[in-house]
Amino acid sequence: MRTGDYKQTYGELTALVDSPPVWLWSVVLVAALIAAPYAMNAYALSFVTIILITVVGTLGLNILTGYTGLISLGHVGFLVTGAYAYAVLVSKYQMHPLVGFLGAGLVPAAASLIVGAPSLRLKGLYLAITTLAFSFIINTVILEARTLTNGARGIAVQRPEIFGISFDSDAAFTWLCLGFAIATLFATLNIRRSRVGRAFVAIRDNDTAARVMGINLHAYKLLAFVTSAFITGISGALYGIYLSFVSVEGFPFLLSIEALAILIVGGLGSALGAVLGTVFIVLLPEVARLVFSLFSAQMDALFSTGAQELKSMLYGLVIILFLRFQPRGLVGVWHDLRRTWVHWPLRY
Amino acid sequence: MQYLTQLLISGLAIGAIYGLIAMGFAVIYKSTGLVNFAQGEMTMIVAYIAWTISTTISGNLFIVAAGAIISAIVLGLVIERVVMRPMLGEPVFATVMVTIGLAVILRSSINFIWDAYPHGLDVGFGRDIVRVGNIGVRTGQIAVIATLLVLLAAIWAFFRYSKFGVAMRAVAADDRTALLMGISAPRVHAAAWAASSVIAGIAGVFFAITYDLSPAMFQLGLKAFPATILGGLDAVLGSGIGGLLIGITENLAGGYFGSGMKEVAGFLMIIVVLMVRPFGLFGERDIERV
Repeated sequence: MRTGDYKQTYGELTALVDSPPVWLWSVVLVAALIAAPYAMNAYALSFVTIILITVVGTLGLNILTGYTGLISLGHVGFLVTGAYAYAVLVSKYQMHPLVGFLGAGLVPAAASLIVGAPSLRLKGLYLAITTLAFSFIINTVILEARTLTNGARGIAVQRPEIFGISFDSDAAFTWLCLGFAIATLFATLNIRRSRVGRAFVAIRDNDTAARVMGINLHAYKLLAFVTSAFITGISGALYGIYLSFVSVEGFPFLLSIEALAILIVGGLGSALGAVLGTVFIVLLPEVARLVFSLFSAQMDALFSTGAQELKSMLYGLVIILFLRFQPRGLVGVWHDLRRTWVHWPLRY
Repeated sequence: MQYLTQLLISGLAIGAIYGLIAMGFAVIYKSTGLVNFAQGEMTMIVAYIAWTISTTISGNLFIVAAGAIISAIVLGLVIERVVMRPMLGEPVFATVMVTIGLAVILRSSINFIWDAYPHGLDVGFGRDIVRVGNIGVRTGQIAVIATLLVLLAAIWAFFRYSKFGVAMRAVAADDRTALLMGISAPRVHAAAWAASSVIAGIAGVFFAITYDLSPAMFQLGLKAFPATILGGLDAVLGSGIGGLLIGITENLAGGYFGSGMKEVAGFLMIIVVLMVRPFGLFGERDIERV
């Protein structure tokens, strides 16, 4: 009888997935997502698209906060920089969309060096406050740089056409986002199992010990910032395209909170957690609305008038409740379930 | 010259409000070791409660003040007991995220309990303009600067001379040793939250008296961050003085470089301070032993 899930070689420790069936189920899930536009109406499809875009951004934040343990309250700053970089390059200067996406990654990555450099000396709370300050500064910079960004008027963005393939329809845009989400997932999983990823985790667990073991703290912390900002910026570009309009108001501070809520709900430092958390948090307001509308029509009206407030309230509650009762997040729940399934009727 | 003085005076007045909120940050940081991201929201809630008292019960200055202080104490104690105490002993990341969760809940609750429109808090004082030389100053602005100075002195005396103040410092310095000495850490934490809530509430009420009450008031908390970083997160008095400095800087930047600069002056200052002196002007340098 199988008594546990033991790793016996180094190869098993760094494998991309735990077991072959995971590959099978992943392929099934991707196939289902590719088929989704044919089976769903436009409203349901918009949730799929939002989830895929958010997965990209959350995986980006996960590299910084989940793997390296550096708290960022200002990730919306990278999101908005990425969206603007794409909008300026593609809508204003008619560049190729792929150049736009590259810029959407590189510009936030460059910006992250500016935030990352002072933060090398800082830990924990101080870093969180610096990143918070960054996200406010970047908004002002965007509003003031009118010649480039149109200031408060924002920039309209078209759905892209890449190598003759038009991503104009909702279905095609969902596939584009799916492509980016899968690529990001592979990238972060591979970062995690490489030397770089192990260095990140070592810094998170104890940076003094990591340094003693020969990890260059400055280089790796900056690397974490740059990678994270690059991915987040691309997510911002996708979100800008989805909104078809890029403005500072389209990226409220609440998005930073939402991203952290996703990581906490999913389980910090796990790519699977980032995905599970995204699905949970994106669908939460909608599910809450459905549940409450069963009770009374009045609640339904409340959800349409105070949607934004109720949403932030739900995020706040979910953050507090998960930290209090399930600090390991949904990934923790999943691992417990899996262990119970394998070992039943034994407890361990 | 007159323009400059005007900017300085109004900078001092808004700086005093930042200073009060920043002191609230520092009181909690000093005794519990965490940054309370819900400070601005607590400021706002107390101000709204004061406004409700002034419109429903009585607009008398003393009744409003007493009501605001009592409700601030209750608010602080309830938050500490219900939300924060269960997190005792958890990692800092988790507790700080809890305060962020609390912040968004409090922030959005304003729109459900009250409404989204701005209100003026009328207690029959605070908006009259006094002329000092050729500069107009609101009485509320003078009062808030005076209050900050009085509170600075009172808190300094409290931490220096009272037994409970010394106990709070002991818990901040080393909570395990303090526990062994017979100090109740939960009680110290509760007192810190109540005190911080009262200080923040005073700032909120003064802001509502002098300017206006609106659901965007929580941003005062964000503006007070630079103050407490500049003064030192663990320095209560330093944070108060940091508030004055930030208020003046912000107003001068706004007066001479435009309103965009006013919004970010404080945040730029945070980044500079953190690069040069991460522990603030009056804070204690953190030495890590392995």
